[in-house]
Amino acid sequence: MAAISTEELAREFEGGIKAVDGVELEVAEGEIYGFLGPNGAGKTTTVRMLVTLLQPTGGRAVVAGHDVMEDPAAVRRRIGVALQEAALDPLMTGRELIQLQATLHAMPRSKGRELSDALLERVGLTQAADRRVGTYSGGMRRRLDLASALVHSPSVLFLDEPTTGLDPVSRQAIWEEVERLNGEGTTVFLTTQYLEEADQLADRVGIITSGKLVAEGTPAALKAEVGRPHLELSLVQDALGQDRDAHAHAEQILARFGKAMPSRDGLLMVELERGAAEVGPIVRALDEAGLAVESLDLVRPTLDDVFVAKTGQHLEGSEDPAAGPEPGAEAG
Amino acid sequence: MIERLAANARVVGALGRRSIRQTARRPQLAAPLIVFPTLLLAIQTGGAGRAVDLPGFPEVQSFLAFMLAGAMVQSVMLAGNSGGIALAIDLEMGFTDRLFAAPISRFAIVLGRLAGTAALGGLTAVWFLAIGIVFGVTIEGGPLAVVWIVLLVSAAALAFGGIGAAIALRSGKASVVQGLFPIVFVILFLSTAFFPANLMIEPAATVAEYNPLSFIVEGLREPIVAGFNGEDELAAVASVLGIGAVGLTLSAAAMRGRARRGQ
Amino acid sequence: MSWRADFEMVWALVRRAANEILRVPGAAIPGVLAPTIFFLGITSVFGNLTLLPGFDSDSYASFIVPVSMMQGAAFTGAATGVNLARDIEQGWFDRLLASPAPRPVLLAGLVGSAALRSLIPATFLLVIALAIGAHWPGLDGLAIALIVVMGMAVVAATWGTSLAMRFRTQSAAPLMQAGMLLLVFTTTAYAPLDLLSGWLQDVARINPVTQVVEAARQGFVGGVSWDETWPGLVALAGLAAFFTFFALRGMRRMARA
Repeated sequence: MAAISTEELAREFEGGIKAVDGVELEVAEGEIYGFLGPNGAGKTTTVRMLVTLLQPTGGRAVVAGHDVMEDPAAVRRRIGVALQEAALDPLMTGRELIQLQATLHAMPRSKGRELSDALLERVGLTQAADRRVGTYSGGMRRRLDLASALVHSPSVLFLDEPTTGLDPVSRQAIWEEVERLNGEGTTVFLTTQYLEEADQLADRVGIITSGKLVAEGTPAALKAEVGRPHLELSLVQDALGQDRDAHAHAEQILARFGKAMPSRDGLLMVELERGAAEVGPIVRALDEAGLAVESLDLVRPTLDDVFVAKTGQHLEGSEDPAAGPEPGAEAG
Repeated sequence: MIERLAANARVVGALGRRSIRQTARRPQLAAPLIVFPTLLLAIQTGGAGRAVDLPGFPEVQSFLAFMLAGAMVQSVMLAGNSGGIALAIDLEMGFTDRLFAAPISRFAIVLGRLAGTAALGGLTAVWFLAIGIVFGVTIEGGPLAVVWIVLLVSAAALAFGGIGAAIALRSGKASVVQGLFPIVFVILFLSTAFFPANLMIEPAATVAEYNPLSFIVEGLREPIVAGFNGEDELAAVASVLGIGAVGLTLSAAAMRGRARRGQ
Repeated sequence: MSWRADFEMVWALVRRAANEILRVPGAAIPGVLAPTIFFLGITSVFGNLTLLPGFDSDSYASFIVPVSMMQGAAFTGAATGVNLARDIEQGWFDRLLASPAPRPVLLAGLVGSAALRSLIPATFLLVIALAIGAHWPGLDGLAIALIVVMGMAVVAATWGTSLAMRFRTQSAAPLMQAGMLLLVFTTTAYAPLDLLSGWLQDVARINPVTQVVEAARQGFVGGVSWDETWPGLVALAGLAAFFTFFALRGMRRMARA
């Protein structure tokens, strides 16, 4: 059974703005699903519908075996939620927050105490457990928020941009924890604006833009779809000025290995039919022809290339605040 | 010199307009100016209106005519408080830093906010006079009284705004200025804003006789209920000038303090 | 889920709300002082209204103290609405809504904290009032006054939270406060019914809070009788039920927009 499945899921806001427009998702149990998209693409709106905070205006969604419209309470008992901009009360201590969360899940107080010790330890906040959240750093807040989403060992965990704005070390800590949870069998649905995050964590990735899912698959499959790896190389400059001949000669040799691409900035480029395996033979052939290679790079397609191919825009560039979120949509 | 003066005048104008817009757009800032004093006016005239039958109550057409001046001063004191809160929010959010960094007089910046407060004060005067007229009050002093009242209320708003600005500049915290809210009411209750001093209970009655706010209230009330009385108006103007002087002096001192601390 | 788990949830939410005054230095002061300042001010200003023929009490302080207590409770309740609006703005309320806690439990946490907190300004006010010569209401009168205070806080909190969930911004604060101000004061708050001016007399006659004011007042101005008590309690329960309905409906509709 799928952990999350949606059919034609849609959300229209006042004024006819379609923040989510017919999204079909199927996330298997035990999977980490990465939901990618620029600000205002409909990521957060989708998540808010899946965690029962927002009612869909069209289609249906089943999460952890229950329909979000028909039995939201049952969904809430089975999911863990860590929303964007971790909603924490600065006046509470970390321990109090976990205990409150346990109480909200109808656990007895003794259980809450046990859990808070274990979970705070798990996310490395034991030292800070009795300090007020107001004194926590951004990374600590996210880790606390993550811990609070785990009190009832949810079968599906929703993380909305869990590392946005974090430094690389804090980001790494969150990634490791997510991988550990997944290793224990938790399904993770994660939205992100970071390609690297999706690439590193997600088993499968969905790309949403303007409320529509435009691509879905494993990161590797998506990348393979947009193009093959290519080789970029430059030759050692000849002091006698015979560059032009050498350049032409090298191009002829490269053409034997794959489709040559127009050179750029003195760099020779060739698309490789069989990937990295061809690098050795190419270098050897050039060497035999007396052409000395100065630099050589094997360039593989990235998720950004996938993103550009599917949406016509760069993802990371979409962080530019000037681009702005869609009116009426969410900031996510 | 003239050029600088003109530049500063433009700053005062622009910031004044901004502060009016800011107030109009935030119900939390606008409500104390109009909504709460109007509700209180309605409730108090309805609830305590028969007070005019008490022996010793001054000759008035109605309790509403008597209360209009009180509503106006309540409104301008709260406007001064709101203006202080808004300035403190600007300070907290760093908006004033940007202005302070610009080559304009810091005093012009504070005056800009006060100009906005004064304009809002004038509007509240118009509002309460209109309410009075709609509900049957005749302004005894005639059209001239109306103009005079609007001017006096604007000036009073400027004066109370100076006090609010001083506290905002001194503390830099909106919560501190907000905390003065109850004190505004202490001063109001200890004045003749809501009742004639001779019928109030001691010790408030005695305090009210000497409270500078009472002089402003009487200066606004007389033209409504009886007609111009030179002495009352003089006392009101003197009170406004006194409070204004205190407010501006404290504001200037607080601003110098901020400059010294490098804020 | 057992009633015990529900109760623990309510208590945990009340405990969390208490941080607002326990952990923020000075935060409790304005809420505690304001009703007392109003009480002292109104007593000083309108104290001689008792001289009017037909005024049924000789002490204006005694006459007005229950009203000021109710006003304090109304503002405490409205503050609960403002705090909820802040919690909605900042996303905290999402945490509660995304949890499996039953929605009435979430509302009870908000309302319960308002009811308990309202006792603080009321107690302070009562002590000051008795010190300046307000009549001792008797234990029965005191009990009724305190029930009314907590009930008024519940009414104001359900009203405030309904608005908070509708508007989802702290900008709605003046509406929360003004609504309660009107509800409490368009009654026999300032003077007996016969002494109110025409329009206010008409409004006070139909405003159920008039019954509540009269019930809370009886101990301070005379003696307690069941005949004067039950209409007030019924009115209070009715108002609380009315606004609770809207608050719960508002909570269920949170997911709509």
